[in-house]
Amino acid sequence: MSKKIAVKVDDLTVAYNYKPVLWDIDLEIPEGVLMAIVGPNGAGKSTLIKSILGILKPIAGSVAIYGKPYEKQRRLVAYVPQKGSVDWDFPTTALDVVMMGTYGSLGWIKRPRQKEKKAALEALEKVGMLAFKGRQISQLSGGQQQRIFLARALVQNASIYFMDEPFQGVDATTEIAIINILKELRKAGKTVIVVHHDLQTVPEYFDWVTFLNVKKIATGPVKDIFNDDNLTKTYGINYKVSIQE
Amino acid sequence: MNSAQIEIQLIASLVAIACTIPGTFLVLRKMAMISDAISHSILPGIVIGFFITHNLNSPLLILFAAFTGIITVILVEYIQKTGLVKEDTAIGLVFPALFSIGVILIAKNANDVHLDVDAVLLGELAFAPFDRLLISGVDVGPKALWIIGVILLITITLLIAFFKELKVSTFDAGLAASLGFSPAIIHYGLMSVASVTTVGAFDAVGAILVVALMIAPAAIAYLLTTDLKRMLALAISFGVLSAISGYWFAHWLDASIAGSITTMLGLIFLLVYLFAPSKGIIAVMYREKQQRTEVSLLTFLLHLKNHNEFEERHVNHLREHINWQKVRAKTVLELATKNNMIIVENNIVSLTKKGDKFTSKAIDYIITNEDAQIEDMKDDFFLFRG
Ligand SMILES: Nc1ncnc2c1ncn2[C@@H]1O[C@H](COP(=O)(O)OP(=O)(O)OP(=O)(O)O)[C@@H](O)[C@H]1O
Ligand SMILES: [Mg+2]
Repeated sequence: MSKKIAVKVDDLTVAYNYKPVLWDIDLEIPEGVLMAIVGPNGAGKSTLIKSILGILKPIAGSVAIYGKPYEKQRRLVAYVPQKGSVDWDFPTTALDVVMMGTYGSLGWIKRPRQKEKKAALEALEKVGMLAFKGRQISQLSGGQQQRIFLARALVQNASIYFMDEPFQGVDATTEIAIINILKELRKAGKTVIVVHHDLQTVPEYFDWVTFLNVKKIATGPVKDIFNDDNLTKTYGINYKVSIQE
Repeated sequence: MNSAQIEIQLIASLVAIACTIPGTFLVLRKMAMISDAISHSILPGIVIGFFITHNLNSPLLILFAAFTGIITVILVEYIQKTGLVKEDTAIGLVFPALFSIGVILIAKNANDVHLDVDAVLLGELAFAPFDRLLISGVDVGPKALWIIGVILLITITLLIAFFKELKVSTFDAGLAASLGFSPAIIHYGLMSVASVTTVGAFDAVGAILVVALMIAPAAIAYLLTTDLKRMLALAISFGVLSAISGYWFAHWLDASIAGSITTMLGLIFLLVYLFAPSKGIIAVMYREKQQRTEVSLLTFLLHLKNHNEFEERHVNHLREHINWQKVRAKTVLELATKNNMIIVENNIVSLTKKGDKFTSKAIDYIITNEDAQIEDMKDDFFLFRG
């Protein structure tokens, strides 16, 4: 059984001010997996996602989405940035933020209309945030803001979803709600890539995992490679102790 | 009003609108200071443009100056990218350098032309109507009016065409980039508009007023609304309001028009800062006081709910059981009575059905932090509005 490769990264090196933060990354993500990217703070997880999405220009290497460069495949990809990366005091509402997910399919200049609004409302409903559609975004709790971001990605109706720490600062209920939506996406044949910090839940939530710390340590099925050896290599300390605690 | 007065107010209003539109996005991008940098560093561009064209009225001059504005932005970003200094420091490094180059160029080479530093910084709106635009000998109005009118028209067209792109790239540059709306293109587009507007406006109103009009109306509007379109509309209104009231203030005082408009902006900002309905200082203080009262109310209701004994619910005893020194007991009692949450019989306080339900709901909310079920309570109580 040979699965299609959704995302392929070759010899990717990314630097800020000439200081490489990702070294020579090779990565193949098969279609239909729910994959965690794990690694310590500053490992380059966000940088990897941003480079795949063309937000950062790598100094070397290439990225392919279903065999073609990202620029040709934008419509296939949705992105949930790290929550702290935007200004939540921006004068806008929950619904409006979700509508932004439709901008990609609209292209330059064209404006969202009824159809886009309907899609946004459906996405809000799916993440249980319909009641908050008119709320200014700074008046949402951290978990609610995260749900809004998720709804914005859902509205993009993509094949591949990149999510940077969607569980950051959410309570257990919201975490379960989010993971259920992610599992639903996988069931629908989508590929979902999630930066994740809580190592305890990796085996329960994900079927695929990539260990990253400046270099790629390992990538593959959780059941094969999620072990103390790789955790120690990634985090630099003996993880056996802390994981069994 | 004579026609010169009308023309001055018209020019001031158009300048206000033209500055406010890019200004709103600069404020939202936390880049307000960059307008200061642009307005000063265009000076060498104007001087060099003058050397080349030998004509102070050449449209080429505007392009040259605007180009210097863009160079300023690029320089600031370059210095910032080295990671050695923050953005405001980088701005502080770049614009005095460029400005002083302009001053030296004027001092050395342009002594004989009308190009003096005072005029650049302060401008003089009062003279704007005297500089007429003649098309084949026919007077079609003040030149400043035409310049700023054309710039405003371009700005509005761009705003309408690229509103969604501006919004998404200002709010979330990462998403914008991943969707294919290059934040760099939008950023430099915005900076170009800001530069051209600054150059077009500063001859009439001076650099200081340009900066004030870019920042202040947007900052005022930001305190009043949580909707981007409304923020733009409000900012434009405040810009025009200060332009016109500033004009009459100057007329009355026989003072500089630009200075008076800036004063008006400051005054409006102060008023809004104090009295804005939700973000204003007074509103915030009132809300905090209200929240304190409501916390006491809740403590009080909870006490009633937890105690059936009469002596615990006797008016005289309540004072001892709840820490009421801080808030006047009367306020809390009145609030509870007004909302039909308690009844007092024979000096014994009891919860009503409504009070009981409210207390359970509120406690539930505090424990679970589940928001949806208390939506209706938010209208009545500040406590639950976050
Ligand atoms: N804009 C930037 N300029 C310079 N250095 C940066 C920038 N963004 C990130 N870095 C550096 O690059 C490295 C990788 O950052 P990145 O944000 O990708 O880490 P991460 O794995 O996502 O960390 P976290 O778990 O904290 O989100 C870090 O050392 C960080 O300091
Ligand atoms: Mg990160």
